[in-house]
Amino acid sequence: MVSEERDSEIMARLQKGVIEFDEDLVREASHEALEEGVDAYHAIMDGLAAGMDVVGELFSSKEYFVPEVLMCADALNVGSDILRPHVVRGEKSRVVGEVVIGTVEGDVHDIGKNLVKMMFEIAGFTVHDLGRDVPLDQFVEEQTRTDSDIVCLSAMMTTTMLGMKTAIEKLKAKNPDVKIMIGGAPVSAEIAAKWGADGYAPDAPNALQEALNMIKGLRELESQG
Amino acid sequence: MVSGRLNSRERVLGLFQGQEIDPIPVFSGMGNVTVHGLEEHGWRFPEIHLDGYKMATAAASTPRLFGFDCAVVPFDMGVEAEALGCEVNYYAHHTDILYPTISGKLADKVEDLNVRVPEDLGGAGRVPVVTEAIRLLKEDLGDEVAIGAWVLGPFTLGGQIVDLDDLLKMSFKKPDLVNSVLEDLDRVLVALAGIYKEAGADYLTVREMGATGDVISPRLFGSLIRPHLERVLASIESPKILHICGDTNAIVEQMAQCGADAISVDQKNELAASRAKIGPDAIILGNLDPYGVLVEGRPEDVERSVREIIASGADAIWPGCDIWPTVPAENMEMLMTAARKFGGGR
Repeated sequence: MVSEERDSEIMARLQKGVIEFDEDLVREASHEALEEGVDAYHAIMDGLAAGMDVVGELFSSKEYFVPEVLMCADALNVGSDILRPHVVRGEKSRVVGEVVIGTVEGDVHDIGKNLVKMMFEIAGFTVHDLGRDVPLDQFVEEQTRTDSDIVCLSAMMTTTMLGMKTAIEKLKAKNPDVKIMIGGAPVSAEIAAKWGADGYAPDAPNALQEALNMIKGLRELESQG
Repeated sequence: MVSGRLNSRERVLGLFQGQEIDPIPVFSGMGNVTVHGLEEHGWRFPEIHLDGYKMATAAASTPRLFGFDCAVVPFDMGVEAEALGCEVNYYAHHTDILYPTISGKLADKVEDLNVRVPEDLGGAGRVPVVTEAIRLLKEDLGDEVAIGAWVLGPFTLGGQIVDLDDLLKMSFKKPDLVNSVLEDLDRVLVALAGIYKEAGADYLTVREMGATGDVISPRLFGSLIRPHLERVLASIESPKILHICGDTNAIVEQMAQCGADAISVDQKNELAASRAKIGPDAIILGNLDPYGVLVEGRPEDVERSVREIIASGADAIWPGCDIWPTVPAENMEMLMTAARKFGGGR
């Protein structure tokens, strides 16, 4: 076991590596973490993912833009590839939920979707990625097949976001309990509410937070029922 | 002051000649086909991208039905990429309205990209379809209505022909590599704009939506995007407009310095603030919310929005993007009525 001080040092290095898209630093700190016996899941969540939270803040405050975020994601993936195989299957790493994700038909832009997917995987969700330009019925089929808790729909253009409205209707008709999150450049919180989505994600870290809240809501509902 | 006797074409061209037009024009540099125009002919959306006659007829229906001051072609973002060899999905059998997308890019990585400019650009892909549509529009209503055409900006075209993820990262990591690709695309776009102008387009819009403030920093816009927009715009005959959608508040001054005769922004732009930044003489077109207001709003919302846009200092009402085809007819009618009623100079 490492000392508390050393542990926070390693977390800080992982975070810094992600925030400053320094893949070498992330690689180095990830190996250090493993060599010194730091729990891999802890390193992923409190190191890499915590760094991505800061990236989300930098994106919201317009210090970072999409290219920077993509480079941060690459750095995160370097660390994740090293740490993930060492995650001990146990309480901490249990599957927190299942998610169906995809970009709606007519839209071939999948950057936002891929970032959100990455955040879900990092947090231990099982992700069913339908890819891009996905026919609306496929979301319904995949949700039914996998009994996923959440469906995430993404659209990058005004001309394609309308498909999400139809998809929400279809999904809710088939399974009223499924939680639906929508996101993408032209989408706003108002549109999400108006179309009956349960969540709206302006960016990837927020999508994860929103998803965790929705899952929590679902679990509470189940335990009451 | 030039007053209400002007027809649509005179209104639009007068604006670019620096006249004060009363009431201000209502037009666009982007697509404005509506389902109301399509229904008259029983055409489905995918058909109108592939046939010059259908494209022209669909484009002409909006000025004809609603008195819109222009007709614009093409409708989709795939024309340039297709001419360079990309594969396009038209969603041919779809009954919903889906815009064509690029289903096969030239390369995944920027470093593997080899842009070959076709020797006969005018004959490549659907360029002949678009030029035929422009010629037909010019013949049919060229005296009364302004005929517009548009091309993508070089960076946005880059995102069509190569994986966008890699283009964005390379813009940061290897700007020289991206620069050399954009230089090739600059030449393609200038040539294409020339072909459209020669076919009879009265004005040309460059749509650089991929370089919006939601995606890249104002700094990167200045160092990487702007020099190419300057180069492209310098080689296009006037009138020429630069349109960027999304959050353009931090780049609107740079947009105004790219050499276009006018700039166009969407509803995310704080128009009054932009007017203050770029001064009273620069022509700014905008910024009607094409979905939230024009499709989802009631006629009174459209009227309020038009009045706000005029009060914010727009020189003409432009939707912030393509008019979404399912726009209710009463909203289109109110758009025109409100602009004619309240658009008395600025």
